[in-house]
Amino acid sequence: MRRLGFLLLMCGVLAGAGARASADWQVADAGREAFARPLDGLSDAERERFFRGRSLFNQSWVVAPAKDDQVDGLGPLYNRLACISCHARNGRGLPPEGADERMQSMLVRLSVAGRSLHGGPRPHPAYGDQFNEEGIPGVRGEGRIRLSWIESKHRLADGEVVSLRRPRLAFTELGYGAIGKVQTSPRVGQQVVGMGLLDAVSAQTLETLAAERKPDGVKGRVNRVWNPESAALEAGRFGYKANMPTLRAQLAGAFLGDLGITSDLHPIENCTAVQAACRQAPNGGTPELSARQLDDVEFYLAHLAVPVRRNADSDVVRRGEALFAASGCAQCHRPNLSTGTSPRFPRLAGQTIAPYTDLLIHDMGPGLADGRPDFAASGREWRTPPLWGIGLTQTISEQQRYLHDGRARSLSEAILWHGGEAKVARRRFAALPTQQRRALLAFLESL
Amino acid sequence: MDSLHKPSRRAFVRAAGALAAAGASSRLWAAPAKDVVVLTAYPDAVVSRFEAAFEKAWPQYRLRIVWRMPHDALPTLRQAGQGGVDVYWSASPKTYAQLKDEHAFRKLPVSLEGLPGRVGGSVINDPDGFYAASEVAGYGFAVNPAYLHRHQLPPVADWSDLADPVYAGHLAVPDPVEVGFAPVLVDIPLQAYGWDIGWALWSAIAANAAFTGRGGTFVSDEIGGGRKGIGLSIDFFVASAVANGAPVEFIYPRQGGVNPAHIAVTAGSPNPEGAKAFVDFVLSDAGQKILAHPDIRKLPVRPSVYAGLPAGYHDPFATAARGGYLYDNARGRGRAAPVAAAFGQAFVRPHARLVELWARLHAADGATWNSVWPLLTAPPLKESEADDPAIQRAFFARRDDPAAEALAAGLEQTWASRVDARYAKAASLLGVA
Repeated sequence: MRRLGFLLLMCGVLAGAGARASADWQVADAGREAFARPLDGLSDAERERFFRGRSLFNQSWVVAPAKDDQVDGLGPLYNRLACISCHARNGRGLPPEGADERMQSMLVRLSVAGRSLHGGPRPHPAYGDQFNEEGIPGVRGEGRIRLSWIESKHRLADGEVVSLRRPRLAFTELGYGAIGKVQTSPRVGQQVVGMGLLDAVSAQTLETLAAERKPDGVKGRVNRVWNPESAALEAGRFGYKANMPTLRAQLAGAFLGDLGITSDLHPIENCTAVQAACRQAPNGGTPELSARQLDDVEFYLAHLAVPVRRNADSDVVRRGEALFAASGCAQCHRPNLSTGTSPRFPRLAGQTIAPYTDLLIHDMGPGLADGRPDFAASGREWRTPPLWGIGLTQTISEQQRYLHDGRARSLSEAILWHGGEAKVARRRFAALPTQQRRALLAFLESL
Repeated sequence: MDSLHKPSRRAFVRAAGALAAAGASSRLWAAPAKDVVVLTAYPDAVVSRFEAAFEKAWPQYRLRIVWRMPHDALPTLRQAGQGGVDVYWSASPKTYAQLKDEHAFRKLPVSLEGLPGRVGGSVINDPDGFYAASEVAGYGFAVNPAYLHRHQLPPVADWSDLADPVYAGHLAVPDPVEVGFAPVLVDIPLQAYGWDIGWALWSAIAANAAFTGRGGTFVSDEIGGGRKGIGLSIDFFVASAVANGAPVEFIYPRQGGVNPAHIAVTAGSPNPEGAKAFVDFVLSDAGQKILAHPDIRKLPVRPSVYAGLPAGYHDPFATAARGGYLYDNARGRGRAAPVAAAFGQAFVRPHARLVELWARLHAADGATWNSVWPLLTAPPLKESEADDPAIQRAFFARRDDPAAEALAAGLEQTWASRVDARYAKAASLLGVA
């Protein structure tokens, strides 16, 4: 505890400095619109572009052919109709609470052993790299996934008992034959604020962070992933395993994988060799998402502001902030990052931001492992998720669900699932007296 | 705590793949849910909530959404087999009337007890029982009180207030040619004040306004963002923004109008039992209460539901009982398209000219006012033209029928020429170049 106290003092100062960064990228809104605000100072033309992008993000796509030929081309196989379906109010998705509920804002990634041509996951030969439950008329969906939960009880140092749950998946009504042995990774939608700023953090910054010596067994690596735009391997930064290098690539990948919408980055529909009707289905243009539309959605997401912290100067939050740092959480959930140059979106350049992430992948232990490697990330490695805005989860999503599969029903549960490189930090959290643990959680709620 | 992370390590590393494979071969579940195919144009905020609640209430069914805007719904429901659609659920009264005439629906297989067939002067349920209202939307004014205070503008309560030149530059009005909900908005004062006075009001209001199109910016953005002080709108966009914290109020004028959304079961429904279940659910207390969610904020059609809604929730049935909502939507539905087109030719197309002429008129002497005012305020078309079924058909069918398009475009040219001649004369009288 003496060592913890010392760290608390030292790190508290550093963390506190990070939390009160430049306000240019922030917006003072703690309501249900908090994740939907543009950065301040957009010109009229930029605002128009921002709102065009918002319309496309909210748009329910239609089956081709259609008179609405700007938004047709859904599927042939898809998960949901709109981007917003998995990111309601630009926030997090929610997992089903039981096997009878459908995945409304969750999906399951698939792969088999081996690697793809570019070093990524090797898609399942019949079902591809993502299970698409839905198909347009005439194209059978891939089936259904039933998700159930396995609960287990755990006792903290102060005697509090916490129930943790992990998901169990089962495929039913399979449309293209037995699925056999397959690697799966269930994922809920992520909140989408501040992505432009994270996109503007330089790859060199990530390499520098990865190279730093860190205490407590924390390491952190840069995932090296394929960028379909540059046709090269680059530093990954988006996605639960940092398997996407840029916001644009992330977007285009989601349009194809989740909605079945092609773009210049992914011009081929998401049909496997055995999905004949899928391959013969009409499309909504080549590509279905025009370069201008992709530009607009990218602009929209790049310019979504991050909500200002609440109660940041209250005593309990400041104590929690210091405990967060002293417990070692801030080793990965970095309070400060700087953006580099941003030629396409100059107002994002040169900002000091407080995302509480290092964008690196870390071994998070067997409890969170999905056993599904993704480029350099192993089945146990996950990207440090940004924590900015996390305190508004209940407000935005009307429930609290955290981690990649939404298993955690509270921030405490989410922390208690940390293992691997985060094991020491998790143990410190679990060992904290009740009041200190509450203070740390109050700090997280202030983000 | 480490028990979570240690003992099951070996099993857990294999967990996802192994469990998934096991799940594929062991079917412990009940029979697969049967699809109910619903054609709709509702946004995800509406669809996802009804989907979750319906499937919870009726686990034997799974909702499959086919998303089509109303103009695209017609071809879908006209094709053989009606595209496999069981239920059509959308806000487009004209499309429902058209499809009913084409025998696209079967009689609604549900009880409509407790669901009034009208709101004031507006019929909302099909009298022959082929479709029923599933919600209604009202119209009014979004107001930013801080903006009004900052600009020292008086509050507004009714349509005539908006014509006051004090509001010049402070209003946002949706362009009825571009924005789907706006034609009814335009027709409300034409019915409430009469044809001539209604158009005169619109001329003055248009001169005070900037028009918003369909580029993605909503009136609620303009008003909530403080770029304009007052915006004319259908209510739910604004009510939802207000419920989610926007610094905006919504004012219902003394005479408003309602636009119903409807629900119908297709004649060729492959799953009529499932269709009945969905219609029952949408019209039930539970379904109607979903409409009050802050992200939706539409007006339920079951009056008994209002007692349990948040304080201040607008109740169109109560308003109608007090003499509001005299608006005749059957009349408005037919003439909405030609009225919107005429509005576009009279006010949107020559907007800069209109603004200038009204500004000069407000500074003119009484004699000039008396000469010029009729030139700026005369209706661009006769009411008999707007009510002419042949003209209405032409505007409704113009997207698909070249002959209809030719007739509609010709009429637009006529109205434009009429307006331009009046504005030129007004400009001459006002000494405007």
